Amino acid sequence: MTALLETRGVWQRFGGLVANSDVSISVGRGEIVGLIGPNGAGKSTLFNLIAGVLPPTQGSIWFDGEDVTAMPAAERCQRGVGRTFQVVKSFETMTVIDNVIVGALVRNTVMRVARRKAHEVLEFTGLAARADVLASDLVPAEKRRLEVARALATEPKLLLLDEVLTGLTPTEAQTGVALVRKVRDAGITVLMVEHVMEIVMPLVDRAIVLDLGKVLVEGKPADVVRDPKVIKAYLGDRHAVGA
Amino acid sequence: MDKNYAARRRRDLVIAAVLAALAALAPLFVKNVYIQNILVLTLMYAALSQSWNILSGYCGQISLGHALYFGIGAYTTELLFTKFGVLPWFGMLAGGMIAAVIAMGLGYPFFRLRGHYFVIATIVIAEIGLLLFQNWEWAGAAMGITIPVRGDSWLKFQFMRSKLPYFYFALALCCLAWFVTWWLEDSKWGFWWRAVKDNPEAAESLGVVVFNSKMGAAAVSAFLVAVGGAFYAQFLAYIDPESVMGFQFSLLMALPAVLGGIGTLWGPVLGAAILIPMTELTRSYIGGSGRGVDLIVYGALIVAISLALPQGLVSLFSRSKAKGATR
Repeated sequence: MTALLETRGVWQRFGGLVANSDVSISVGRGEIVGLIGPNGAGKSTLFNLIAGVLPPTQGSIWFDGEDVTAMPAAERCQRGVGRTFQVVKSFETMTVIDNVIVGALVRNTVMRVARRKAHEVLEFTGLAARADVLASDLVPAEKRRLEVARALATEPKLLLLDEVLTGLTPTEAQTGVALVRKVRDAGITVLMVEHVMEIVMPLVDRAIVLDLGKVLVEGKPADVVRDPKVIKAYLGDRHAVGA
Repeated sequence: MDKNYAARRRRDLVIAAVLAALAALAPLFVKNVYIQNILVLTLMYAALSQSWNILSGYCGQISLGHALYFGIGAYTTELLFTKFGVLPWFGMLAGGMIAAVIAMGLGYPFFRLRGHYFVIATIVIAEIGLLLFQNWEWAGAAMGITIPVRGDSWLKFQFMRSKLPYFYFALALCCLAWFVTWWLEDSKWGFWWRAVKDNPEAAESLGVVVFNSKMGAAAVSAFLVAVGGAFYAQFLAYIDPESVMGFQFSLLMALPAVLGGIGTLWGPVLGAAILIPMTELTRSYIGGSGRGVDLIVYGALIVAISLALPQGLVSLFSRSKAKGATR
């Protein structure tokens, strides 16, 4: 079976800056894949290319057997790509349930059905008690969860998570990890960008490490963390010797 | 939760029906033509502001050029009537449709602009429209068009003897604009518009085609405003560019919604109910002889309301309710 998501030789240049150079990755159905790397490695750029925020300078992106390189974000969502934002982008003047309904409307244009779907998603993500609260009144961890809930309401095949676990307290992060597992168990493929290795490594099936815009290493998390190239990229030359 | 929501929507509908019924009875008690005139204008501006609110309040695309659509509604109706003998009812629909098409045509380039730049573009376009009509000989140029008197009739939508038919039409238009808003509020479109206003990028990621959402809002908004313009032309029985397309109309559509509560169902009605009588009364009691005292008082009241209730007058009603519901 073909991969659910594939990037083929993707380049992204911003003027003279090369954010992604010749990145080819693939994500199989049902996987949880972690996209990691030090600051400035090009994770967010690649993430945005996959979500359709901007087209790559060169190369192509394939989703579910289809070339989506030129497809705008809204259309990719309709095909089954859901995403969250690193800096949360809640609809602040709307209630939590209304935020989620916006997502649910992609697949259900009948309001009653969309509303029921949104309630299900809130139950699933543990936000049900906050349904009628304005999004602007949520605490940061809840806002992160609302990002996930909204994306799940679009019934994605692939969920792109952009640093949803970063900056949370250990307890909140554990709840988040449990939620991501639950999402995968519901049959949704997950690609997550994370900065903090120790949170993601136990969670993901496979890790892809980016450095300086290129794929540095990819493989099982246990192998990746021991790889000298990864240690060097994160900690510098001095620490790589021990490995 | 869902029950509460459905109940609230039903309650809004009941309140609207009661208010409309009370308004319909008003002429039984108000015999004074001057006051009747104020009531007609209040209802008309409530309808206009409600329509403006769809694009600018719900969808967040602040327009200060809606006078253009108002004028297009007025001119289409009267040009069709005076030049081709087309009944104003058809002219009204034609005007609405032309305005909707123009709104989308303008939206095509302008919805790429954001924030202040969009507002400026709307002002400029409306001014261009005004200048074009002032110089368009066939349409009467700056002299305007006098609507020929054909006797009182609903068919010709013309009444010289009484203001009451206009009153009832304005009431119907106000109800229509309110009802369209009420209906759209709980639809795919209503949700998309609010999402686009709050965060276009997030909306796009959830499958909302932001550009099309704005186009839809612009079309509905312009259509209803143009119908209002057609009504106003019949009501005045004389139009010229300045009296149906002047910048003040753009402001008078925006102000009630802003004062009452922008992007809310009741804001425009509430705002118009206070603002329009206030405008007329300050003008007649303390205005006149070019001293402009009325405008000073009027402006001061607007500033006072804006400072005291930045969320609009509707927040007086929703504040306690929201507190009870959330915390």
